Amino acid sequence: MGSFIFKRSLQSVFSLLVLIVLVFFLARMTGSPADLYLPQDASAEIRHQFNEQFGFNDPLYIQFGHFLWGLLHFDMGQSLQFSRPAVDVVLQAFPTTLTLAAFTMPLVILVSVVTGSLAAFRPGGVFDRLASFISLIGASTPNFWVAIVGVLVFAVTLRALPTSGTGTPLHWILPVAVLMLRPTGVLVQVVRTSMMTALSSAYIKTARAKGVGSRAIVFVHALRNGLLPVITVASDQAAGIVNGAVIVETVFGFPGIGKLMIDSVMLRDFTVIQAAVLVTALAVFVINIIVDITYALVDPRIRYS
Amino acid sequence: MSFWKTIAVVTSTALIAPPNLASAQDATAVTIVLPAGPDRLDPCETPRSVIGRIIKQNVVETLVELDYDKHTTLPRLAESWEQTAPTEWVFKLRQGITFHDGTPFDAKAVIHSLERTNDPALTCITRTKYLDGTDVKATEVDAHTAKFTTKTAVPILPTLLAQLTISSVKTPKGEYTADPIGTGPYKFDHWTQGENVGLVRNDAYWGEKPVIDKATYVWRSESSVAAAMVETGEADLAFSIAPQDATNPETDKVYPNSDSALFRLSVDIPPLNDVRVRKAINLAIDRQAFLGSIISDKAELAMQQVGPSVLGFNANLKPWAYDPEQAKALLAQAKADGVDVDREIRMIGRPAMFANSNEFVEAAAEMLRGVGLNIKLDNLEMTQWLKMANKPFAEDRQPNIFLTMHDNNSGDAAFTAFFKYHSNGRQSELHDADLDALIVDAGTQSGAKRAEEYNEVFRRIYEDIVADVPLFHMVNYMRVGKRLDFTPTIANAVELQLARLKLK
Repeated sequence: MGSFIFKRSLQSVFSLLVLIVLVFFLARMTGSPADLYLPQDASAEIRHQFNEQFGFNDPLYIQFGHFLWGLLHFDMGQSLQFSRPAVDVVLQAFPTTLTLAAFTMPLVILVSVVTGSLAAFRPGGVFDRLASFISLIGASTPNFWVAIVGVLVFAVTLRALPTSGTGTPLHWILPVAVLMLRPTGVLVQVVRTSMMTALSSAYIKTARAKGVGSRAIVFVHALRNGLLPVITVASDQAAGIVNGAVIVETVFGFPGIGKLMIDSVMLRDFTVIQAAVLVTALAVFVINIIVDITYALVDPRIRYS
Repeated sequence: MSFWKTIAVVTSTALIAPPNLASAQDATAVTIVLPAGPDRLDPCETPRSVIGRIIKQNVVETLVELDYDKHTTLPRLAESWEQTAPTEWVFKLRQGITFHDGTPFDAKAVIHSLERTNDPALTCITRTKYLDGTDVKATEVDAHTAKFTTKTAVPILPTLLAQLTISSVKTPKGEYTADPIGTGPYKFDHWTQGENVGLVRNDAYWGEKPVIDKATYVWRSESSVAAAMVETGEADLAFSIAPQDATNPETDKVYPNSDSALFRLSVDIPPLNDVRVRKAINLAIDRQAFLGSIISDKAELAMQQVGPSVLGFNANLKPWAYDPEQAKALLAQAKADGVDVDREIRMIGRPAMFANSNEFVEAAAEMLRGVGLNIKLDNLEMTQWLKMANKPFAEDRQPNIFLTMHDNNSGDAAFTAFFKYHSNGRQSELHDADLDALIVDAGTQSGAKRAEEYNEVFRRIYEDIVADVPLFHMVNYMRVGKRLDFTPTIANAVELQLARLKLK
């Protein structure tokens, strides 16, 4: 297991570097930040001064050299928009998104596993059809629309929840609910399919023949094998929560990394884009390692050594 | 805040905190929703609305203030001023004022603020947008008198100084500050990154004591959420909500935002180099039809790039009639004279330039196709759009109908005329020596003569040259909560003086 994790880490570091190089050069192909940060009628002299100050007058390879040198010293440069170190800006925003994800994912898994398993128990039954219908809607409804409708219904009409912002537990309900929708919709489908396969396998038939109860068959015997594909998809969904967070954070005014990334791309804040990509990629890498370990724990047949 | 700390705070709040919904705030405190949060709170960046709306005239004040209605300047930290020579102005400062940090407001503070703004280590917008090229310097005559000198005569120096905020000498030079220290009726209290900014009343203020004692600024980019916050009482005032969210006439107030939308035409390139084609384009767009449909019915038809609040605005120009038949006739005439009116013309828009701008360009393109023009529509992202907006223009570019928006909140046409229409202007497609001379001369005039010359500049552009297609002077909607007695004005495009908010 140890050597596997080491190998996977090396692979991830390589992927991370490729990603960072791509982000560095692609971002710089999109135009000069001076266009966005200075008034449109700023003189050529002031534009030159701005580019000089932030090193944008240097050839790209020099800029890249500075970037790599900084990276070696854990210095990702100054944020153009915040005039603070980019790493600080990103590390300040990241816990908010991580907290959103930490509330969302366990709920997603709990709801999906229970709903998907129950749906798989009687395929074609009323519960199965209802669960499939609702999960399809959840997986395909645009987040931003649900978020706005949620505000109109629960905040404006019912006055039960705050519209947006942070501060009390009530502020988390709408964002987490909206963020749950898509991954839950997808996972219910996956759990259902995977459980149906497991429930129709020979060992379940044997268990049934031996008189094992329905609940034990579903939640003890089938679930363990049915969970493997669920773990894979759940890890993808967890990594994809940053995408969902962009919408949720924008609508609900959560100062997380999703909104920060979008704002930084719009404002050509190169250093923040780079730092945000690096931190997010690291998080995805950690999630993948955790998934691999979980795989081994759930299915002892898998041997990494 | 670390991840685990955040979890701990949220969980513990869940256990002990009661729900905190609408209106749970002091009677004299307000919450204001902005479309975006500040990236810094530096006094030299107040011309940017994201910063100006929080700190300008609230925390940091200016020597003079603009009166948009009367096209003049009013005293603020300066009591009076006079031009003692063509390149020299003397300002008498108010006495007995102290900054929030206890340091006295005097000529040294004025000099410090100007030097800080002019420091090339910072790209202060006050300098880059307003003071660049003036070479303005300040010296101390005595503790309460400051003298400003400029390289050449600047007849509108007081107007320019309405943008220069004065901060304490303890505000460091050469670096942006997140702790503005001014003389204003409110003191900066806190800035929680990503969440809110707080101001508290300065009880030692030199002027009248404001009613509101505390202001919290939050930001929501989603207009419907911002509007809902005021609706539910979570906030008292929301800036710039989209027209489709301004559904409550009791709370939603319209105000001119100093932006003017227009199509710029590439006048050097066939077929747009023929004035008949440019006239035909103006005649073919039914501007009135947009008002009340996809553009607010409170917007006004534009005949020039500046609005009525700007000195130099020409009130005598008449809107183009919508006359597609005449447009077709002009195009036919041009075609008969060999002008290639069938050539593809590129109409360039920018998504979200204003509410419904995509729908606007699509409809406008269709109107132009209706009179027989060959229009190709492209919507460009901001930086690509900026590349096309500014010189150097591509040598081999297609004829363009370029959607642009100009924001002149300085109160003077100088910030439009040169930049947009002089041969050397960064966004000018014109090369007209007579017009250039007139623009330069108007810039050296003051008072009525200045207004008269700029009037003539805009008349020539509109009637003789037909350089562009003026569209609308735009408006914003502000949702003002039922607790407040407040009517927005054009000044709110860049500032919101909390002292002017009254409670009902």
